[in-house]
Amino acid sequence: MNAPVVVRNLKKVFYDEGRGEVKAVDSINFECREGEVFGLLGANGAGKTTTLRMLSTILTPTAGTATLMGNDVVSNPQGVRKNLGFYSATTALYPRLTTRETIDFFARINQYPADQVEQRVEYLIQRFGLTKYADARIEKLSSGMKQKVSIARTIAHNPSILIFDEPTVGLDVLNALDVVDSIRELRDEGKTIIFSTHIMSEAERLCDRIAIIHGGHILACDTLAALRESTQQHYLEDIFVLFVKAGQEMV
Amino acid sequence: MNWSVLRLLFIHEMKMLLRARRTVVTAIVLPALIMPLMLYAQKYSSSRRERVLTGTTYRYTITGPLADRIRNLIQQAREGLNNDTSEEFEQLRQFKFVEMTIANARQSLDNDAIHFYIETISGVEADKIPPKVDTAPRGPVARRNLPPKRLAGVPLINVVYRGDRDASSAARGRILSLLRIARRNDSESQLVARGFPGDPKQLFSVEDTSLATHGQVTGSAVGRFITLFLVMMMFTGGAVASMDIISGEKERGTLETLLTTAVGRSEIVAAKQLAITSVALVITLMQGLNFLLYIRLRMIELPQDFDLQLSTGMALTLLLLFVPLAATIASVLLMISAYAKSYKESQMYFFPVYLLSMIPSLASLMPGVSLRSAIAFVPLANVSVAAREIMIGRPDAVMIGVTFAVMVLTAAYLMRASARMLTREDLVVPAHFEAAEFLGGPALFQKRVLRWFALMWVIVFAVATNVQALASFQRQLIFNELVVMLGSSLLMLWIYRLNPIEVLSLKPVKPAVWLAILFLIPTGHLTALGIFQIVNVVIPAPQEMLQRFSEDVIPRGMPTWQLLMYIAVLPAICEELLFRGILLSGLKRRLRPAALVVVVGIIFGLFHVSLYRIAPTAALGMVLTVIAIMTGSVFPGMVMHAGNNALGVLGGDWLNPDALQFGHYAAGMAIFALSLWVIYRNRTPLQK
Repeated sequence: MNAPVVVRNLKKVFYDEGRGEVKAVDSINFECREGEVFGLLGANGAGKTTTLRMLSTILTPTAGTATLMGNDVVSNPQGVRKNLGFYSATTALYPRLTTRETIDFFARINQYPADQVEQRVEYLIQRFGLTKYADARIEKLSSGMKQKVSIARTIAHNPSILIFDEPTVGLDVLNALDVVDSIRELRDEGKTIIFSTHIMSEAERLCDRIAIIHGGHILACDTLAALRESTQQHYLEDIFVLFVKAGQEMV
Repeated sequence: MNWSVLRLLFIHEMKMLLRARRTVVTAIVLPALIMPLMLYAQKYSSSRRERVLTGTTYRYTITGPLADRIRNLIQQAREGLNNDTSEEFEQLRQFKFVEMTIANARQSLDNDAIHFYIETISGVEADKIPPKVDTAPRGPVARRNLPPKRLAGVPLINVVYRGDRDASSAARGRILSLLRIARRNDSESQLVARGFPGDPKQLFSVEDTSLATHGQVTGSAVGRFITLFLVMMMFTGGAVASMDIISGEKERGTLETLLTTAVGRSEIVAAKQLAITSVALVITLMQGLNFLLYIRLRMIELPQDFDLQLSTGMALTLLLLFVPLAATIASVLLMISAYAKSYKESQMYFFPVYLLSMIPSLASLMPGVSLRSAIAFVPLANVSVAAREIMIGRPDAVMIGVTFAVMVLTAAYLMRASARMLTREDLVVPAHFEAAEFLGGPALFQKRVLRWFALMWVIVFAVATNVQALASFQRQLIFNELVVMLGSSLLMLWIYRLNPIEVLSLKPVKPAVWLAILFLIPTGHLTALGIFQIVNVVIPAPQEMLQRFSEDVIPRGMPTWQLLMYIAVLPAICEELLFRGILLSGLKRRLRPAALVVVVGIIFGLFHVSLYRIAPTAALGMVLTVIAIMTGSVFPGMVMHAGNNALGVLGGDWLNPDALQFGHYAAGMAIFALSLWVIYRNRTPLQK
């Protein structure tokens, strides 16, 4: 069977008043295997978010292809989104809905079987410890609670692929840890997860394989152990710097 | 379209809206509360003003040699009024005034010691006063206020007042009426004194009779304003919802969340559109009920003969038109809100769009506009005129059908446009351009070409037909052909850095094509005439249409060579470069050849002013487009266009339909088809 996520020569060019033509993502290739956490590690502006937005069909690629569970992002965007949970710092929740309504709404519009929605909502409320806040409006919740609701709504329809785009940005240590734990749990349940971050320790701890992305290019893509092997460096930070510098020299 | 998802999204949108307490208060509760307050304030102030003005005792004085006579006449007139019970003079009867003895009338008026004074001037003195000059530059209002011409030697009674003081103005109006009554009474009594037989008032009696029922009069009055009223209500009501529904969602970041779910963008747009339409309709309905309530409570006073007769059929027909109207307005609002980056920006765009949309709904106020005209094709304006005709009780079923179709198409088009707006990436990624926009050049030209034509069309119609300086035949042609059409062509070539030879198709063709064109010119005329005859048998053309068509636009008395320059050569060059050069190149990548022919032909037809010429010109345009596509060159079309127009100038009636037999038509059509076939055989492939 094909890998759940296949990216081939994916490219995105922006035109910006100040910078002119910007190749935000420049012909990248990667695959994600079932049940792994695939890390996209890169500095700000490296092309992580653009890549993930193309995978979630919010942006249209300039060139190249990407398929999720066999669905092409250009020709079958709805098929892609049905199998996908997308989470990022910019995907906000509706402040005027309650926790329960939020999860229910996202399960239904993602076409989770209607007769099982209620059960699923109850399950998620319990799983994330939201019982006490189930009927409170989102605007009344603390940021940690909102985080949990956000993850719950991302997996409301039980998708097989999950994308987490810098999920811990702006969170305190404890909340960030909660998120990382949730992602690990989801991986253990067999989900395919793409996780982007610029925090080395998170990538080290969580990712089965890591792609180092810089200037729109993927400079390396392997398991942490293999990366250590090939670079003879122990810390991911050193490995990252090594590749980025080598990449710059190449340019 | 997945209906269950649509339902889900719609309920979601409505829930969001209703939970936004501020939105509900500002959009629904406040207007409902403010309205009676405003009405009450207005009613209170106007009735108070009336009371003050009637309660005032006006001080005045009479000066000049005729003071005694005028004083007596006024006195008599007032006594006469007190005996008259007719309602007409009610206000005058309540007019209380007292004459003051004053040394300097002018000064007293300036000091507000008196409200006005009557200056009497003998005929001899009055003749010395220079006549009043109309100081206002122009306009019917100023002219109407000029006093009728005074004959020499006639005394002058001048009421002097202050137009800037309410009481003085009111007093002036009343004393003028009183003076006119006094003058009439005086002339009548003088007539009687000189032996007029009978009562001078009874020469003849004047009355009036309206054939319209009260219901029709009311319908005409209400019908004029109902569309404007509804458009205003729907716009203001829907705006609150639309801003929250997209701009607000963008600002909160929930739009990106929604866009990553499995729902399609068309469903998102449809749900939002439906939500805005519902809110707009509910608010409109509430305001309507509000009005009915105030009418019941007599906070709004209706005219005496007000009698609104709305049959079920009429109401249903109106509803049929108002639903697509609401959907159109909702789409416009949705587009504003999708285009704006934030809540604030969408508020900024709202107002100009709102005012602009009110202009077409004023169409019903134009006198003599009937739905059976081009207005049926103008969205909003057509509903406005249709509503008036329905309310008067003279609905035109066919044209109401056209209006409905136009409105549904408009709503559908705008909905599609707003759906497309939601797929634009700058909704999510701020400040970036589409490739074509950024790179400019030919790629952008293809996106913009239709906008240029829309702009040119507006210029040709709005400017050229209304500007006085362009009224003459020659000037209008020069402006349209050289300035607008040729000018825009050159401007587009320059702005988009286009290759003129490519875009304008300036290419040589084979000799056989020229031969075919030579035959095409006369046989084209014959074919058109033949088709017209056949069509005329099936659907007879209205007499008016034939008349308009034969009304020539050609001025008399111009030398033939000049006519040929203006009518044949100039349009052939400019229009072919523009339509078969620029437009064809701009659209050829977007449309298939058949669609290309139809679209270019229709746009060409639309540029030919008279409504009755659109269809035949469009047909000619299609033939010219076919030739341009087949030959890959603009030149054969130019020659055919010039030849065709020249035939119109020279021939006049060289083709007399009465003298033509079936054989003539058949031969003409055969040669026409054969010539086209020759061109087809010598075609060059369409280059994309």
